[in-house]
Amino acid sequence: AHPQVSVINTVDTSHEDMIHDAQMDYYGTRLATCSSDRSVKIFDVRNGGQILIADLRGHEGPVWQVAWAHPMYGNILASCSYDRKVIVWKEENGTWEKTYEYTGHDSSVNSVCWAPHDYGLILACGSSDGAISLLSYTGDGQWEVKKISNAHTIGCNAVSWAPAVVPGSLIEQPSGQKPNYIKRFASGGCDNLVKIWKEEDGQWKEEQKLEAHSDWVRDVAWAPSIGLPTSTIASCSQDGRVFIWTCDDASGNSWSPKLLHKFNDVVWHVSWSITANILAVSGGDNKVTLWKESVDGLWACISDVNKGQGGVSAAVEGQQNEQ
Amino acid sequence: MEEPDVEPAVTVVPGADPAAGQLCFAWGPTEVLVCETRFGRTGGSRPGRPGSVFVFRKDEDIYIDALRKLFNESHGIFLGLQRSEEKLAGKSRKAHLVQVSKNYRSVIRACMEDMHQAASKFVPILSAMELIWNLCEILFVEAAAAGPLLLRLLDWVRLHVCDVDNMVREVLSSEDPSKHELFWNLNNMQTLTEMELKWQHWHEECQRYLQNGTFASSSHMESICKILLGDEDAILEKKELMTTWYHFLVTRLLYSHPTVKPMELRFYAQSSMDLFLGRECSPEPLDTILMAAFAFEIHEVIKECSIALSNWWFVAHLTDLLDHCKLLQSHNLYFGSNMREFLLLEYASGLFSHHSLWQLGVSYFDYCPEYGRAYLELHIERIPLNTEQKALKVLRICERRQMQEQVRSICKIMAMKALRNNRLGSALSWSIRAKDSAFATLISDRFLKDYCERGSFSDLDLIDNLGPSMLLSDRLTFLAKYREFHRLYGEEQFSEAARLLLMLLTSHIAPCFFWMTLLTDALPLLEQKEVIFSTEQTYGLMRCLEDLTAGKLDKQKFQDDVETMKVEMLRLALARNLARAIIKEGTLEAS
Repeated sequence: AHPQVSVINTVDTSHEDMIHDAQMDYYGTRLATCSSDRSVKIFDVRNGGQILIADLRGHEGPVWQVAWAHPMYGNILASCSYDRKVIVWKEENGTWEKTYEYTGHDSSVNSVCWAPHDYGLILACGSSDGAISLLSYTGDGQWEVKKISNAHTIGCNAVSWAPAVVPGSLIEQPSGQKPNYIKRFASGGCDNLVKIWKEEDGQWKEEQKLEAHSDWVRDVAWAPSIGLPTSTIASCSQDGRVFIWTCDDASGNSWSPKLLHKFNDVVWHVSWSITANILAVSGGDNKVTLWKESVDGLWACISDVNKGQGGVSAAVEGQQNEQ
Repeated sequence: MEEPDVEPAVTVVPGADPAAGQLCFAWGPTEVLVCETRFGRTGGSRPGRPGSVFVFRKDEDIYIDALRKLFNESHGIFLGLQRSEEKLAGKSRKAHLVQVSKNYRSVIRACMEDMHQAASKFVPILSAMELIWNLCEILFVEAAAAGPLLLRLLDWVRLHVCDVDNMVREVLSSEDPSKHELFWNLNNMQTLTEMELKWQHWHEECQRYLQNGTFASSSHMESICKILLGDEDAILEKKELMTTWYHFLVTRLLYSHPTVKPMELRFYAQSSMDLFLGRECSPEPLDTILMAAFAFEIHEVIKECSIALSNWWFVAHLTDLLDHCKLLQSHNLYFGSNMREFLLLEYASGLFSHHSLWQLGVSYFDYCPEYGRAYLELHIERIPLNTEQKALKVLRICERRQMQEQVRSICKIMAMKALRNNRLGSALSWSIRAKDSAFATLISDRFLKDYCERGSFSDLDLIDNLGPSMLLSDRLTFLAKYREFHRLYGEEQFSEAARLLLMLLTSHIAPCFFWMTLLTDALPLLEQKEVIFSTEQTYGLMRCLEDLTAGKLDKQKFQDDVETMKVEMLRLALARNLARAIIKEGTLEAS
């Protein structure tokens, strides 16, 4: 059955300018939105309602993205903006406040992504200054910063963490001892590259360079793990292409791309459903398409959400396997 | 290479302005968010128009509540089937599987009856589902052989057709005894050959009657006779009495090929459909599905059902049953037995959008050996833990499956929630369960700080009964031991209490802010009539006091007179105790 979807709720955010991002929290009870009007808003959307909980001011330019941290750390939201700042907001005693502000970038911060909760409270930020910063909460209101300068020449547009995988077997660690995770994340930039970064001895190193795009990479999304040894990353670009990258071995050495589709316009965002079986692609052509992989490894478009531009939005079907 | 032969479903965002730019999209745990945007631009939307975010849900999820009875009851049948796997073999196994199939169908019918009152739109869908399932039961599960096959098909048609088969009624009421005999014999399950012979004989007799003109006087009787002889045209003339082509098919078979073999069905089915529908009508989805069934193309049936029905319930359960019948060969299809798992995963995932049906989803995942566990892990951590009860329920599910990561995660979330609501005891219990020593330390500090301010502890029961969990963190151990000190003092076990107090001071597990409190706790012991602290112990206490005051002098002067006074009192009490202790220890005990 192909998913038939209907609108169940329309949230009127009352943003005074273009909305750039909207994200549900972990449980689907709260919605965070951010806009060119420089504000971040939080709504309670339980039971089809919409109650404004917070209108957060602090940015001095359009806010590009918001990201919810894992609930075990409390109610925490990160936002990044054209104003070069990254702000971490926290709900304390029923009110939302700024809990940390990072101003170490020289240019617009385009993307923020929280690491898997197993690693602690860590935020990766990608900026137009080409750098990626990693902000780690160390306790007592303190944050530690690590910066990867020149991660991508001209600029970094997206960051996405790999799911946490404990190396070796899942033996129960004695309490208090943290297992040795291998932390990895992917980034996409204006150098047309997708890069994979790995932490080694407390330092972040470039582990892989994935080349296939012929123009700026706009977004990368590392798929959630369903227990297989394979890793999967989706990337999309100004060149209209969406690639699915897979790596079969656990050491992370050989990545191979598969072209999902070539669109007629810039593709801006890609994101995975929570069990990684559907990929959503947001394009410049006024629509969002949903793609699913059949068991023989081919991708097919299963749904198309668009704005009804007459006959233009012909449903995309079939799958490509070009190189 | 498999081509999807269905156009993707197109959903139009309501009220969105096509000229305004692009669509921003985000996945929620069970819904999706869409809003208008312009990527890469810094602003400039139409002023005055509020930004809307659209929340989408799958239709299937919206209607899930209406079908909850179906989901709940079939769940039990599903579990029973999984668990009964190894016990039976051969004929009894087949009988068992047929019974399971009948059970599923009776659940569908029960739901249909319930919904009938409400004139729900689901009734025709459920009816179609039962129709298809019933046919699959006859052809695949029971695998009815020639002879009984027609009887089953007759029952099938009778059950599902509103208008009674008038042909049969007419025949039954006619006076020709041999016709009665025929039906009588069919029900007696004579051997196929015997039946065929009898039927042939009867058929020839009818033929003779027709040719002799026995019925020439009545066109009506002649018509009946022709029908009985299986004359297609004659039967087709009565088309309006048969509602569907499959009704026509079975009627035809009854009169022309009652001993039809299963493998011959496809030809009769195809021609029946062609004859009945004529050339202008194209088959509907239901027709395609039934045709695939008559052709014994099981995978086609599943595929067509997946496309036609907007819910996964039907294909998931039917495929699972067929898999148990060992009918899904892996070499026939790309994903063979994985088809079963694929469909079950889809169905079960959908259940997680519901506030209580998600529990059914858990057991479906249990029976998906390849990805079930991973899917469960990903879905279960998105269940909102609104109440302690619900959290415990989710925990039990995780614990039973040794999902340690999820257990820890849930406990941490609950601990954080409790802490934010100032429920320290609850927060502590949850951190202990999560084996989260950092959090346990944090909460222990809170307890101790509260004690400094208020002079009493909340949640004493919990702290006093920690047992070995007190070892989770040093701070927690300190808290538990400190409470033990209070208890010992309360029970007037003064020397034990004194020893413990000194140990707490010298072992350095006490937080700095608590030292003064500990030393102050020594005062009542120092001022007892009896000497409790030995000289050794007194020196220890004095050293602690000096460490404390020296440290304070480094940083700042004592804040207030109360502190200064306390220190003075302590010095005096310690000195006095030292004197008494020296005397006591220097005196020989009277023997």
